[in-house]
Amino acid sequence: MKTEQLIDMLAKDAGPAPRAMVERRLWPVALMGLGASALFGVLVIGLVPMSVMMQMGWWVKLAYAVALVAVGGWLTARLARPAASLGAPQMALMVVLALMGLLGLWAWWATMPELRLAELLGHSWKTCPRNVVLLAVPPMAAAFWALRGLAPTRPRLAGAAAGFFAGALGALAYSLSCDEIAFSFVAVWYTIGVGVSALLGALLGPRLLRW
Amino acid sequence: MDMSANSPAVADPFEASLKPLWLQAQAGDERAYKQALSLMARRLRGFYGRRLTALPDEVEDLVQETLLALHVQRGTYDPTLPISAWVHAIARHKLVDLFRRRGRREALHVQWDDLDDAHHPGVEDEQPARRDLGVLLKSLPQAQQQAIVLTKIEGLSMQEASARTGVSVAALKVQVHRGLKRLGALVKEQP
Repeated sequence: MKTEQLIDMLAKDAGPAPRAMVERRLWPVALMGLGASALFGVLVIGLVPMSVMMQMGWWVKLAYAVALVAVGGWLTARLARPAASLGAPQMALMVVLALMGLLGLWAWWATMPELRLAELLGHSWKTCPRNVVLLAVPPMAAAFWALRGLAPTRPRLAGAAAGFFAGALGALAYSLSCDEIAFSFVAVWYTIGVGVSALLGALLGPRLLRW
Repeated sequence: MDMSANSPAVADPFEASLKPLWLQAQAGDERAYKQALSLMARRLRGFYGRRLTALPDEVEDLVQETLLALHVQRGTYDPTLPISAWVHAIARHKLVDLFRRRGRREALHVQWDDLDDAHHPGVEDEQPARRDLGVLLKSLPQAQQQAIVLTKIEGLSMQEASARTGVSVAALKVQVHRGLKRLGALVKEQP
């Protein structure tokens, strides 16, 4: 087939371009991934008790996870489009990380020195990042599936963004089951969990995002 | 300061001629889409021709592969961006992918920064493609192949094709889209 014929074929009856292709592909599967993770976490570990939900710390944790999800989704959506700029979402990422970092530092200084370490480590610092990463697996599969149907021209970065997005969704799901409420705990261990997930994504990106 | 970053349409005649056509095409204008794809094909031929001097036989195949990708992915174009930047990002991606597939070391010698294509004479005549998309088309699943052949090659309207096959218009559209996507994946598996 000659290129000219190919062009005729592609243009024939092509109709308008699909609208909001990136968002329509990315968000539904991400929400499904989140649903799967939340269900899994609540069934296996259980929902936090009401007394924890009454604490501001729990809501701050939830808000941090939601903010990471938003930024991660934004970055992933940008990287799914050829030539899109990353400036604004990168800035948002820095702001969210810095805010939680400052909150963590503030909580550290505001706590009596002999209690600081106990708050930072909580009772589950060893399992928290691991659980976040485990719960990031379903949304990770979902995000990569979505990206594979889109046009990421920077596979490693796009993979990292997808991993970050999935990690944030995993963190959100895990926060339903995790009763740690110290700001310093959230700022360190949740962030590490999401970071590890982003790293996994960066490793998978060049392998899985070929088109 | 580089003014072209702020006003690419003024600096780049390719952008200036392509952008209005492309926007019409995105809105569903078939003639504009055809013209836009032809402009892009010429640009791609020049772009790859200059960078694949060691592999001249690959040029037309890569042009066709990229055109398929541009078509399947046209929903990812953001109208606030220059269309030339979108095309170039995909063209570069396809070139890197070709080198990776071929496992060659040429990628190391490619100059990525000489993107001032407007001022370089390029190879602009179509060369015969080595790989025949018409043959590849036959390896698609029956339903996809039929939908593409009827509506895109024989030129039936969606309604006519629907009447002839008994498949709904909506389902036909899905088959055409999936088929072209599949074709885009198949061209990469061909040696």
